[in-house]
Amino acid sequence: MTQTPREILLSTDNLVKVYPAADKPALDGLSLNVARGSIFGLLGPNGAGKTTAISILCTLLRPTSGGVSILGHDVVRQAKEVRRLIGLVPQDIALYPSLTARENLRYFARIQRIPSRKIETRVNECLELVGLLECADRRVATYSGGMKRRANLAVGILHQPEILFLDEPTVGIDAQSRSMILERLTELNRGGMTLVYTTHYMEEAQQICDEIVIIDAGKVIASGSPKTLVNDAADCSNLEELFLALTGKQLRD
Amino acid sequence: MLLLANIKKELLLLSRDRAGLLVLFVMPMLLVLVLSLIQDNLFRATGETATRAIYLNLDQGALGGKLGALLESTGSLDLITDFAGEKRDISSARQKVFSGDYQFAVVVPPEFSAEITSAAETAVQSAFSQKTTDLTTGQLMIFFDPTVRGVYRTAVTNSLYRGLLGLEIAQKSEAFARLLPLEVQRSINQQLGTEMAAQMQLDLPVISSSWSRQSLIELTEESAYPEKYQTLPTSVQQNVPAWTLFGMFFIVIPLAGTLIRERQEGTLTRLMTMPVGNGSLLLGKVFAYQIVCLIQFGLMLSVGKFILPLLGTPVLELGSAPLALIIVAISAALAACGYGILVGVLARSYDQASSFGAVSVVIAAALGGVMVPVYVMPRVMQDLSVLSPLGWGLEAFLDIFVRNGNLLSVLPGVAALLGFFLFCIFCASVVFCRWRRGI
Repeated sequence: MTQTPREILLSTDNLVKVYPAADKPALDGLSLNVARGSIFGLLGPNGAGKTTAISILCTLLRPTSGGVSILGHDVVRQAKEVRRLIGLVPQDIALYPSLTARENLRYFARIQRIPSRKIETRVNECLELVGLLECADRRVATYSGGMKRRANLAVGILHQPEILFLDEPTVGIDAQSRSMILERLTELNRGGMTLVYTTHYMEEAQQICDEIVIIDAGKVIASGSPKTLVNDAADCSNLEELFLALTGKQLRD
Repeated sequence: MLLLANIKKELLLLSRDRAGLLVLFVMPMLLVLVLSLIQDNLFRATGETATRAIYLNLDQGALGGKLGALLESTGSLDLITDFAGEKRDISSARQKVFSGDYQFAVVVPPEFSAEITSAAETAVQSAFSQKTTDLTTGQLMIFFDPTVRGVYRTAVTNSLYRGLLGLEIAQKSEAFARLLPLEVQRSINQQLGTEMAAQMQLDLPVISSSWSRQSLIELTEESAYPEKYQTLPTSVQQNVPAWTLFGMFFIVIPLAGTLIRERQEGTLTRLMTMPVGNGSLLLGKVFAYQIVCLIQFGLMLSVGKFILPLLGTPVLELGSAPLALIIVAISAALAACGYGILVGVLARSYDQASSFGAVSVVIAAALGGVMVPVYVMPRVMQDLSVLSPLGWGLEAFLDIFVRNGNLLSVLPGVAALLGFFLFCIFCASVVFCRWRRGI
């Protein structure tokens, strides 16, 4: 039985980004294809170009050259259309700390143009999904680190985006919150949402990603499913060992 | 809908910072209250009302009292002769000035009347004999507070000279009236001989001394532009709108701060990945802070109308064009908020925004005549003052409060303020667009 090729939802073609006054490019010919319904891991050491790539894909940064499209829309020329399709869970807790989680979600729901009559239902669904329904009326400033991360995720999925970008969504939180976030991400993916995920935790990537690319100095140095990559590498029993073998052990910052 | 969502969010954020909100409303009220009171005193000291001064009259004759009456009749001096039980001597008069209770003291010496009468008589005699005689002039002493500025000191000295001149003329006239018949008699005696002169029944001229007090020229004072400056503003009419505008423009700092905080917290980055227009994001802030500005405006006018009069200032008269007043207030608030957005977009940190925002508002206030009237500034500064949005607002408010201005007469000021708002928003949008396009 032949497997039907999955639809490519996001693709980049020879993407280059050179920051002003930088001596080398942050992205140097990056080409990616992300299939619909996958969890795509974008891995790399600090300074490899992950955040630059995510910023370009989320319409926050213009590439110096190369093409990027999401569901056929050019990210540079059709940024407005692309913004309706994407969700972002940034590395920062991008919430208003003096507002409650519910107030934050209501505000971002309006900005995402969710119809007024559906806002309360959708806000409650998202709060429940991340386990914050009971403390939704507390100010975000009073939340623990894990709760803030979960609220940050809830805002990203409010409008049920086609593709969700997650920039290190589990950094600096306890094992329980981390486990919950990973479970919810898997659930969302099962529901049809495509995820592009960056992390420094290799076991997370190995656990949830269907496909990964490892980039360094703005270039892809390995790509494939985590399992295949580990199996194909001699002397590597897991993704972390493979990652260190490919990128080296020297400090990057 | 998106604009409303942004306005609602901004108001919600403001309402959560109660201490900040208190500062936003209470500090401008305090500013108007304190500065209007201080400036009110300055208005009084620089001629709007009589200046209070110590008058120590030690004269043993009547001229010391006459001089005091002459000085008070000018209307610019209110002389204090009662030392409230303290010893009436030169050292206590000097002490009262030194301690800052009064800005100056006039001391009339004991021999003042005798000396001035004698000097007047000598002067008239010298005139009759066509000789120049060195006069033994009377002395009048003034103690000035060393902090008193030049113009004020000159005004007081001029009042004193004016009083003394009146007194001198009166004394010389009296001496002339008294000495003229004697001088005529002496001249006849000399020309005809004493015996013949005695046989003649001469009717010698008698001169009334009152002629010396009659003015020969009347000085009429009239504004060069009576249609525009029919009435001069009272201290409150000048200070309340001036410092109200100053307070409103300080909205720049918290408003710029919200933009910078959103950038630092990452919420702005998140918003930039969402389907929301730049206009909605920026104008949401403008309109929310516009509401704050207008509440500030109402509170600060209330201070002028109800609180300042309790502290001895005139009541703030608001004129008879409430619609024009509201439109000027809205335009000024928009100008302030537009500037706040521009500073917020251009500044890279809160420190930058707060220091640049505050200093630029102070400079604009100084240029616009908030602190000192434009007409006392150097010519270059006067030319530059037309660039100040605070000046445009102040001129429009004064037009309504003082000159019975209406919507038509404040239109240039309103247009300038709205133009400034649009300019700021346009520049901020250009920068914002560049951020959003990742340039």
